[in-house]
Amino acid sequence: MNDDHFEELAALAAFDLLEGAEKAEFAAMLERDPALRARALALREAGSTLAHVAPAAIPPPELKARILASAAAGVSAPAKSNLIAFPVLLAWAAAACFALVAAWMGELYMGSRAQARALHDEMALAALTLQSARNQMEAEHIIHRQELADAQGQVAEATHRYADSERQITALDQRLKSQGDLANFKISTLASLLGNTPQALAVAVWDPARQQGVLSVSKLPTLAKNQDYQLWVIDPQYPGPVSGGVFAIDPENGTAHVTFKADKLIKTPAKFAVSREAKGGGDSPKGPIVLLSQ
Amino acid sequence: MLAWAVMADEPAGLAWVVRMTSARETELPEDRAAIDARLFGRMVQGDRDALAELYDRFSRPLYATSLRILNDPSEAQDVVHDVFISLWQKSAQFATERGTAFSWAVTLTRNRSIDRLRSRQRRATLIAESAPTDLGYDEDAGAGGAADQAASGDQALAVRSAVAALPVEQKVALELAFFGGLTQQEIAQRLNEPLGTVKARIRRGLLKLRDTLTRRL
Repeated sequence: MNDDHFEELAALAAFDLLEGAEKAEFAAMLERDPALRARALALREAGSTLAHVAPAAIPPPELKARILASAAAGVSAPAKSNLIAFPVLLAWAAAACFALVAAWMGELYMGSRAQARALHDEMALAALTLQSARNQMEAEHIIHRQELADAQGQVAEATHRYADSERQITALDQRLKSQGDLANFKISTLASLLGNTPQALAVAVWDPARQQGVLSVSKLPTLAKNQDYQLWVIDPQYPGPVSGGVFAIDPENGTAHVTFKADKLIKTPAKFAVSREAKGGGDSPKGPIVLLSQ
Repeated sequence: MLAWAVMADEPAGLAWVVRMTSARETELPEDRAAIDARLFGRMVQGDRDALAELYDRFSRPLYATSLRILNDPSEAQDVVHDVFISLWQKSAQFATERGTAFSWAVTLTRNRSIDRLRSRQRRATLIAESAPTDLGYDEDAGAGGAADQAASGDQALAVRSAVAALPVEQKVALELAFFGGLTQQEIAQRLNEPLGTVKARIRRGLLKLRDTLTRRL
């Protein structure tokens, strides 16, 4: 017999690691040579000392009480005699009943504890799952809140830029409109038509959109107190001149700067004229024309 | 027969932890075995005080072993309870020719713990948790931390010292064989070594442990 092989089998047997053919072979070895039993036993004893290598742990005090209670409740040491007296038998029967009850209670206790442990595990798992879901939702909430804040910032910026653009467009529109209105203005210079006012000069500007104009004259002679200068707008659509109203001049230098409106709607201000009329003017020119546009 | 050791595990003035050290672990091996055998003789007579004494002598290493295998205090307590009840019930079957009482008790504890371990549905996970690659103490610290040393007797310290002196690969193989609840093939897979190598490591490690303990104890 190979001694190393025996020791190997004995060492594995010390930890109950033998199976099948090896187990049968080892049993046969011990059967053939009882001296090997002691060697195998010594290895098993050495293996059992590994119990001291486990990290130190002290069992709870109640475990001892529980063991002693179980021993007292359900178990007696093996009897020495096969003959049992009736009173003893009765006591044994009572003890057996007690043991059965204790065993039943113990089983109930163990079952309940196993069930409680399983429930505890399930609760722990559920709590973990819940916590995980909460964490995920919280993370998503934070991300969404950040995205919303970003989007709101972008909207605010876009709104601001849009308002700027609107203001620019409005300004441009006004500038374009002003330029367009200016293009439509009718500007005329009026010159003396009579020899009595050779130095007189006037400029008339007509805004067709607003249907009003501005007349600026200079060096017109001073009139008698019962006379007024009257402005006229000549539009081909009307058979006669349309009154633009009377105006007074500064007697010192013969100037005037007046805003005027026509009595009728003017489509084509072809010419402007200034005549000398009776005080207050009239619907049609009666006096001589003093100034006429070119 | 208990020897009491008072240790200050907490800062001064906060708490004193009283820990019990079994007198069994300071006895000579032959005295130890003889006392254990006498307790079994008393238990056969129905002496529950003998069971209580046996509990004081065996409970800590048995509980530590079961806890190491199962990694569950509640289950370890159940195992220790069942083992002591078995020892009580089968005390008449004890025979010194078949080994020491302590070896018998350890075998019962280990087998029942492994049975429970294997019955769990989460076996693979739990084995990984309960069979780490070291022996549960810092190698550099020699035979364990101060608390463990204070809580252990001469026998436990001698065993720890003997195991610490083994080559690492033998130590790991013995640990997996004793605490892991694994088959030979599973140990080989776990260590990623050929089966023959694992067997040889277990053999050499156990022989060395036996020889060292024989000299020391």
